[in-house]
Amino acid sequence: MGVSFREVTKKFPDGTKALDRLNLEFDQGEFIVLLGPSGSGKTTACRLLAGLETSSEGRIEIDGKDITHLPPRMRGIGMVFQNYALYSHKSVFENIAYPLRIRKVGKADIESRVGAIAELLQIGSYLHRKPAQLSGGQAQRVAVARALVWEPTICVMDEPLSNLDALLRLHMRTELNRLYRRLGKTFVFVTHDQEEAMTLATRIAVLKDGKLVQFDEPRTIYREPANRFVAEFMGRPAMNTIEGTVTDGIFRAGNIACPVERPDGPVTLGIRPEQVELVEAGSEGAITLAVDVRELIEPDTLLIFQTGAGAFTVRTQKNCDHIEVGQPVGLRFPREALHYFDASTGERLR
Amino acid sequence: MNKSWKILAIGILACVLVIALTPYLWILLTSFKGRLDILSPDPRWFFTPTFSNYPEVFLGKDYLPLVLNSLIISISSTVLSIGIGVPAAYVFARTDFAGKEDLFFFFLTTRMAPPISIAVPLFMFFTALGLTDTIYAVVIAHTSFNLSLVVWMMRGFFAEIPREIDEAAMMDGRSKLGAFVRVVVPMAAPGMAATAVLCFILSWNEFLYAFILVAFEGRPLTVGIPGLITPHGTLWGQVAAVAVVATLPILVFTFLVQKHLVRGLTFGAVKG
Repeated sequence: MGVSFREVTKKFPDGTKALDRLNLEFDQGEFIVLLGPSGSGKTTACRLLAGLETSSEGRIEIDGKDITHLPPRMRGIGMVFQNYALYSHKSVFENIAYPLRIRKVGKADIESRVGAIAELLQIGSYLHRKPAQLSGGQAQRVAVARALVWEPTICVMDEPLSNLDALLRLHMRTELNRLYRRLGKTFVFVTHDQEEAMTLATRIAVLKDGKLVQFDEPRTIYREPANRFVAEFMGRPAMNTIEGTVTDGIFRAGNIACPVERPDGPVTLGIRPEQVELVEAGSEGAITLAVDVRELIEPDTLLIFQTGAGAFTVRTQKNCDHIEVGQPVGLRFPREALHYFDASTGERLR
Repeated sequence: MNKSWKILAIGILACVLVIALTPYLWILLTSFKGRLDILSPDPRWFFTPTFSNYPEVFLGKDYLPLVLNSLIISISSTVLSIGIGVPAAYVFARTDFAGKEDLFFFFLTTRMAPPISIAVPLFMFFTALGLTDTIYAVVIAHTSFNLSLVVWMMRGFFAEIPREIDEAAMMDGRSKLGAFVRVVVPMAAPGMAATAVLCFILSWNEFLYAFILVAFEGRPLTVGIPGLITPHGTLWGQVAAVAVVATLPILVFTFLVQKHLVRGLTFGAVKG
């Protein structure tokens, strides 16, 4: 029992293909994050699930029932929009109560249900206000309350945190996490922020150009990216990927040379900035490079090098106060931290 | 410097007010003047008022039904224009279809020709329908020019309401039509009120089409005024009395909605 997209394609009238034969299946009770850069089709996928767009081809099922052509109101899905989409002429209470009023829920029942969800989201004291009198964070909570008050089976959220400032975003993220653990509902959350995806999701669906690239737990996405795109998209700063060639068990690119367990031929080597070991220049088995740029993002330091085969970033928690720009530094690549990608397709090589 | 600018601004405003209000004030005074005071060669600001002009024209000449006609025409054409124009404007604001902007421009072009240029065709059209000298003809004619105004202005108002509002209402359980009627229309109500008032005023003030289409039955006030120009001279006191009554609803409405009216006109025009 769950949600499934089967070969879903969405073409817009102007010819753009927002989704290209998407296949995606997940269970009820999961927190699914649709992640991708802009134009990857993640919002389209969520709007198709909500019923705000109709697919050009393919089927969408919820609990085995084909909902492809059902109008939004018959799908049992609540939705939170990026710009909140509150009804400005109604009070906060009426905004939250609206889905219940449409469903002709009794007056006393409305009072108690709105009260309960408002308490859960800590907006109980604003119920008499108009949306214009709310801050961004409060408005977002009201939108979430409205989407959940009628207890839909699935809650869809389209970049709900994007309009909030950085601090509030972190706070709301935690709140959403708590809400999910508490309610145990199915959440489908769209974002382009990989950090949001990592913290919230039970599973992340990474999309690119309308295609599903990888669908896995956050840990797997980070540790075993399916291809170079996912590898570079997840993690901050992005994974270093260096295109080079293996000859006699040694990978070479620019002024990098390191022993690898790969057959001869071209390959793309990947290593996360935080997994590179910083050692003394000239140490055995280390690559020596001169520091190009040093950036301090307390408590970490980013060291950026020029390799002759592109820039290379190292993120370390070591004290780098003594390291000057231009100074040579030794870098060691632990074998278990290395990723290999096909030089032409970018697919992960095992 | 600042103070002198302020004085200058007040001066200019005062001039504008005097220019705009003097004729109105003159009509108001004239409506209370006797025949001698009206025709006096030197303008008289002070005179012994008479209240006979009003009963003479509205009761004696039976002009009271004309007020009712004006009301029926203005209200009906406003209701029709809003009823047809608002859904049309919503479609223009929300959906994309082939030739949309051309069609929208076509709506505007219906207001570009000087009214007199279509007066004769309009008359022939209504003659063919057998509607001349009926109140329906005036209502339809007024709706035809108010409709484009409604579509034009309301498109701007709907465009200001985010599309997500409709979608949120649909997610909350409304159908597409339900979202429009129950959520979007109430949110656009201030704009709709402003548009309706403008329609009402335009229809209430309209003379040419009404003059051509009706002679007796269903005559509005505007068409009634020329009837006071008699072979024995113009009955200025009664003309003024009718004019005063005819401007009353406009004054009331404009004061009621002036804030929305300015907003509606500018937003509708720029963003449409």
